Amino acid sequence: MKAFVSMSVTEFRLSLRNFIYMFFAFVFPPMMLLLFGGIYGNEPTAFYKGHGAVDVLTPAYISMILAVSGIMGLPMQLAEYRQHKVLKRFKATPVSTGTIMIPHFVVNSILCVIGTLILMIVGKLVFNLHFFGNIFYFLAAYILSVMCIFSIGFLIAAIAPNNRAASAIAYLIYFPMLFLSGASMPLQMMPKAIVNVSRFIPLTYCVEILQGTWMGDPLSAFLGQIIILAAIAIVCTAVSIKIFRWE
Amino acid sequence: MIEVTNLTVTYKDLVAVDSISFDVKKGEIFGIIGPNGAGKTSTIECLEGLRKISGGEVTVMGINPVNRTALYEHIGVQLQEASFPDNIKVKELCRLFSSFYKNPADYNTLLTRFDLADKKNAYVKKLSGGQRQKISVVVALIANPEIIFLDELTTGLDPQARIDMWELIKSLRDEGKTVLMTTHFMEEAEYLCDRVCLMVKSRIAAIGTVKELVEQAQLSQKITFISKNAKRESLEGIPGITKITENNGVFDLYGNGRNLLRDTVVYITEKNIEFEDLSCSKPGLEDVFLKLTGYKLEAAI
Repeated sequence: MKAFVSMSVTEFRLSLRNFIYMFFAFVFPPMMLLLFGGIYGNEPTAFYKGHGAVDVLTPAYISMILAVSGIMGLPMQLAEYRQHKVLKRFKATPVSTGTIMIPHFVVNSILCVIGTLILMIVGKLVFNLHFFGNIFYFLAAYILSVMCIFSIGFLIAAIAPNNRAASAIAYLIYFPMLFLSGASMPLQMMPKAIVNVSRFIPLTYCVEILQGTWMGDPLSAFLGQIIILAAIAIVCTAVSIKIFRWE
Repeated sequence: MIEVTNLTVTYKDLVAVDSISFDVKKGEIFGIIGPNGAGKTSTIECLEGLRKISGGEVTVMGINPVNRTALYEHIGVQLQEASFPDNIKVKELCRLFSSFYKNPADYNTLLTRFDLADKKNAYVKKLSGGQRQKISVVVALIANPEIIFLDELTTGLDPQARIDMWELIKSLRDEGKTVLMTTHFMEEAEYLCDRVCLMVKSRIAAIGTVKELVEQAQLSQKITFISKNAKRESLEGIPGITKITENNGVFDLYGNGRNLLRDTVVYITEKNIEFEDLSCSKPGLEDVFLKLTGYKLEAAI
């Protein structure tokens, strides 16, 4: 336990020193919110079916934060640790495999929550952000989304032969995902072709359940999304554990 | 402390270690030396429980290294080319590794001993190569180990840093710890190791103290001096001398024996042979390696 806490605290500190990661997790989403909130305001509009733009965009931007932590932060850390034999060095101690690996998931989850809170505070202070849903439904949607996105990150770390490959894969997945899933721009604005493509992007389903439960829909309205996200989480985690190499 | 019996490691169709056996005794510095690709790292990593054994048996303090948790309460390791997380500070790294052990050594004391006390708040990646290697030894010692494994610790260090490191390793042995190290520097093995194991092409070519290996190889000592009045024939009676060459008054005498130099000096003094610039060169590990393999280790790197 002592080792687990120490490992988590250390990983947390190290993540805070990663400037690019911190920018995309803590600064970029509120910047987007300030920009688009500044343009569209938070008054109810017909385009957002009687809701304010900021109220609709905030849960979408939350999924953007999950994607930064899960698709960029997590795999790049793990690939870097493997390439520089840090994982191997940790293995040459009495600590368990779980103590080496799980802190990465814990720390990136905590960073997600911090990023989410920053975004919500900015939304509240600047645009009087509203939450219309059931907090427990939203939390359940949030946790499921984190698990799904992180499992994809874990898979990237497991597949990538080195840390450059991991960064390349992470960027290649992260940026298209951002624009094609509705995480950065509403899919209603997109042409039909992109909407079709978005069906193949896991983050789309995260955006849907986060936005839906935020707006007051019950979880039962998203059975399809929940099944898809859970299936991705299970499959990716299982495959990653099977093929993950320590060096 | 360590027993290795018929250890074999294979990767696909490559045999990295081919049925080797040796043991390491408590309180000694045991060196595995040999060229790159000889199987040194594979061997040490089997003892550390980091590599799968394909055949044979290995025990470290009676523990099968597969049992990592039990093993690592007793051993400390430095891994070849392994580094630490980016952006970690010395103090944070030491604190982290201390949390891994039930009875960690005090890292402040270790940092002071290794002359790194003023680097506590420095980032590990900003340290010099020598300081980084010292940190990896400090981290290995945080385990409070009885056995320390060092894999190519001094590779890439400048000569002064290497010599500093030698003294530190010696001091570990002097406090009763057992050290198992790999190196491809012959002088390092000669200076540090109580016993060495010469590995060539996945096998052990020779094992023993440096002195034993040199004696076993039956290499000649060379005695050189300059003389105006010596004749080759008059030197042939020196006990132990088997070969004599002369070039412009410079005599090279080759032979074996514990008292070769004394016998030679006594002999030529008694015969009133004048001599000056007398020197004696003893064969070393490098010559043993050359004799066993037919090439110089330095040439192989």
